[in-house]
Order: sequence, then structure tokens, then C-alpha cells
Amino acid sequence: MSHVNAVSFTILVVLFAVVTIVGFAAARWRRAESLLHLNEWGLGGRGFGTFVSWFVLGGDLYTAYTFIAVPALVYGTGAAGFFALSYTIMVFPIVFVFAPRLWSVSRVHNYVTPADFVRGRYGSRGLALAIAATGILATMPYIALQLVGMQAVLTVMGVGGTSNAFLKDLPLLIAFVILAGYTFASGLRAPALIAFVKDALVYLMIIVAVIYIPIRLGGWGHIFHAAGTHLAKTNPKTGKPNGSLILPSAGEWAYATLALGSALALFMYPHAITGVFAARRRSVIRRNMALLPAYSLVLGLVALLGYMALAAPGVPAAVKAHGANAQLSVPFLFQQMFPSWFAGVGFAAIVIGALVPAAIMSIAAANLFTRNVYLEFFNRGASSANQTRVSQFVSLLIKAGALVFVFALPKTFSINLQLLGGIWILQTFPSIVAGLYTRWFHRWALVIGWAAAMIFGTIAAYRVPSPGSPGSHFGGSTDVAPLIGHTVYIAITALVINLVLALVLTFVFRALRLPGGADETLPAHYLADPEPSSAGPVPVGAGAEPT
Amino acid sequence: MTHYSPRPPRTAAWVVVTILLVVAVAGTLAVPIYARSTPALVNFPFFYWYQLLWVPVVGVLAGIAYLIIRPGDADAAAAAERGDPAPPGVSPDDAEGAI
Repeated sequence: MSHVNAVSFTILVVLFAVVTIVGFAAARWRRAESLLHLNEWGLGGRGFGTFVSWFVLGGDLYTAYTFIAVPALVYGTGAAGFFALSYTIMVFPIVFVFAPRLWSVSRVHNYVTPADFVRGRYGSRGLALAIAATGILATMPYIALQLVGMQAVLTVMGVGGTSNAFLKDLPLLIAFVILAGYTFASGLRAPALIAFVKDALVYLMIIVAVIYIPIRLGGWGHIFHAAGTHLAKTNPKTGKPNGSLILPSAGEWAYATLALGSALALFMYPHAITGVFAARRRSVIRRNMALLPAYSLVLGLVALLGYMALAAPGVPAAVKAHGANAQLSVPFLFQQMFPSWFAGVGFAAIVIGALVPAAIMSIAAANLFTRNVYLEFFNRGASSANQTRVSQFVSLLIKAGALVFVFALPKTFSINLQLLGGIWILQTFPSIVAGLYTRWFHRWALVIGWAAAMIFGTIAAYRVPSPGSPGSHFGGSTDVAPLIGHTVYIAITALVINLVLALVLTFVFRALRLPGGADETLPAHYLADPEPSSAGPVPVGAGAEPT
Repeated sequence: MTHYSPRPPRTAAWVVVTILLVVAVAGTLAVPIYARSTPALVNFPFFYWYQLLWVPVVGVLAGIAYLIIRPGDADAAAAAERGDPAPPGVSPDDAEGAI
């Protein structure tokens, strides 16, 4: 470990220590009477205003996906990687429409998870279980992506680069244990408060990077030209060019469906919904949909770092020397372009940028387990304190589950971890979003549509080989769609199957007069904007709490 | 700018909001219109500067949409008129209940 840069490493360790202190101290922030209530531990007291929500949602949604996976894809394939920018552009207008309704009905009924809503709306424990299981499953590869992002930074820093398997993963393990510790202790307050530190670092890092690096590399014209030359080279593994600077027309369907599918999927993820539920007032959400694109600009600029890495002398060679791992391109770019102290700041921005969402994801997935599996099927009389205890421990297990994805799936492009999660989570869209507007769909039709789409999506993703290694699995997330014959994001194909089945079977089940289940919500609940002071559940319907 | 007379403007407002949001999504969903390199802007191929430009455009469109349907007293009256048993503090935005 002699080649570790002491300055970079010290800066990273100091910033990490600051964040750790903030994380543990967060338990005292906006202090609640007792943290042992899921509204407190899991939703930060449901009291975040526009300002804090902007940081929480931004810290929650812009992750190692943004800082490592997207630039890696751009580095490796060029224009095709920019679908992520299109995705984060279209997500906010879409969410603008339905998120306030979900917030309102969940506030009225004190729902903590999206599956709580489905349970109340359709009166179906089975459908709620399907939604909860999907959320937990889909979150794990997304957390895994955060770990891969941290690993990329640590590898480039030379920390844990030894051949000793234990020492190799030790730094990641330490970061992981500390993350688990303050998540356990402070709940959502920890990542919410750390998000301020994260964003300060991220904005500082990206502003300096997009001004300073192009000056050193001889301007944007040179960067695009050099990147284009690199991308046009033939990849020895596939026998085709690596990529292109402008999207070829054959890639347009994949580009558009990856963007649209990711945009529709994002706010189905439990961690995104947790960020919405934590808002104090209904108007906070729509206001944020107009303010959050500021982060999309960051994502677009970070994506361009992939081209800077291609154009920077020494970076492509360094990446190649480390097993051609494209995830390392941005950390190597920082290491080679920045003075070592600022490289340390950049590394810290990426690592902390991965810790915040990993914490929120594990909290959200743990809440799903507690509310919709434990409370529903194992201990119907569980007290608030008991539920919170279960969530605290399950949040640890979820993170361990994520490690399985880190080791089990190919990492040519880590973005596929997120895209695989997207295939799964998008299948909850009909139950959740259609449910916000209509009870027309039959609950069993939704269950069957969901199940068929999950099976189809998983098999289709399993069959995609990594580029250049036939016979491998889970190597990509697009495939030729039946009927239209274009290559599209598998999540969209699966969603179409899901919707068609739900539609047809609803007609059938209604004709057969199968029981539709009780609906505890009323139309006005979807528009409600209760005062934050009424922290307890408004006594309408049966409520999700067993009594 | 949100002082509307009790009912008809809500529908008009939601039509405008829908158009704004559809435009916002379509801007980058319609890939063929921007998958080209020219015209370039300060060395950025069209493909890149077009998409980066859409980021602030979408922020502005969503901001306008928010201002149009921002809660106002007239809307609460409209909800009450429909006879919804409103829990405390019904928010009037999208009070027509469907889009």
C-alpha cells in the first residue's frame, strides 16, 4: 500500500469522519419525543420543508449511479450512456402529476410504505406483499451499485488493493459498518443531515471539474474529438466499434425506452417514496419537482467526465491496466488531473454520495419488511417501538443482501445493477399509480400481471450476455422486443405484458364477480393536506394499523 | 396570477399544465430530433447541448405548472361544492381529481 497518496487519503478520511459524527449526532436533530416510532426513525418525523426535502431527495436520487455508473457507460459506449440525462429530465414532469396524490393519501392514513397504500386501497394482503417483496428485491442491486461506486474510488486510491482478500475489502467493510451504525441509531435523520455535506462537496467538485479539466485538456473541442477517436476504435472482444459520439439510429429505441422506463420506475423505488413521504406539506413535493432538475444538470456534466477521461492522457491506459474496469475512469481522471488535496475532495464527494442513498435505501426496504411482512403476517399486534426495532435490524440485513449482488453479477457496466432493479420495480407501477386514480383494476388481475411481468423480465435479463462474452448472464438490460422488432429496455416490454394482463383479467374477474376487496380510502384523501401538527393518523377507514 | 373565479378555470388550468408537462417529457423522449451533431454550440455537438438545455427548460415548465395550480381559496370552494367529505385542510390543487 506504499503507493497510497497520503494527502488524498487524509482528506477523504477527515471528511468521512465529519460525516460519521454528523450521522450519529443527527438523532438529536429536530428531536422527537421518541425515535422508536417508524414515522420518526423511518420518515424523519414527516416534517421536512421544501429546503430540506430538496437536499434529501437530491441526496437520495443522485447516487453512485450518477457519479460512477453513468460516466463509466459514457466512457465505454459514448452517446448511448446519455440516456441517463434524458431520464432525469423527464422524471420530474411525470412525478409532478401523481406524487402529491400518493403523499396525501399516505398522510391521511399514516402509510409508511407504498405497499401500505396498496394494502389499504385494494384490501389485499397478497398484492401488498408482492409490492413489498419487489421493493426489497429491487433495492438490493441498487445498494450494490453504491458499494461498487465506493469500491472504484478505493481501488484507484490504492487502498485495499492488495492481493489479500480480507485486506482488499476491509476499507469498504469499515465504511459499511459505520454506515450501518448511524443508520441504525438515527434513522432517516442521518442521511438527511449528511445530504447537506454531500451536496456541498458534489457541487464544488463538479463546478471545479467542468471548468478546470477542459482548460488543462485543451478545450471542449479537443475533448469531444479525442473521445470520438477512442470510441471509433474496434473493441477486440466484440469486433465492433466501442461506441459513437452521436447516437446511431439503431440505438434510438433503446435510448428512449431506457430513459422512459427509468423515469417511470424511479418513484416506484421505496427510497424515493420515503423521500416523498418525509415532506411536511403537499406543496413541498411539486415545488421540488421544479427545483430538483438542478441535480440533473450535475448528472449531465458528470456524464461528460466520461469523455474527459477518454481525452485525458494516461487515464485510458490506467483503466486498461486495472482490468478495463470503466467504473474507474472518473476516479482516475480526478487522480491525474487534480492536485492531490482536491482529488481527495472529489473522492470524498463520490463516497459520501454513495453512502447517503445507501442509508435511505436500506431504511426504506426495512420499512417494507416490517410493515408489510412482519406486521402483516408474523406479529399483527406489534407496537410502534417493536416495529422500529425490527426495521433497525432488517436495515442491516438488507445491506448484507446487497453484498450478494456485488459479488454475483458481472460488473462490466455497473449501471446494469440499477437497470435490473428497474425491470423489477417498474412492475409495481400499475398497482401504485393506477391505484391513485381508479379502483377499476381487480386486485388479482394486478397480482397476475405483476407475477407474469416479473418472471418475463427476470428471464429476459438473465439471457442477456455481457458484451463479448457469449453464454454469460445479466450482462445487459435491453433486448429485442417481440412484435415491434426494435431493441428496447426489458422493463418496458415487461410493463406492457403486465398492463395487458391486468386489463384483460380485470374484465374477466369482474364478469365472474370475484370479490374486489375493501377500499379504505375516499376520493378526498388523495387531495388532503393535513397540518403537520396532526402527527397521528386521521381516524378514517380502518387504517393500516391493526387495532 | 392564481386568482380564478370558482370553477371553470380549473379545467383550463389543468389543460395548460398537461400541455406543459407533455412538452417537458416529449422534449427528450423524441430521440430522432436531436440525435445529430450539428448545429454545434461552442464545440458541443447538438446532441449534447440540446439535452443540457432541456434541463433548465423542464425546471421552468414545472415551475410554471406549479404556479398555475398552486392552492388558492377558490379551489377549496370547488372541492367543497363537489361534496367530498374533506379531511382537515383539503388541498385544492388537482381538485378535479383526474388528469
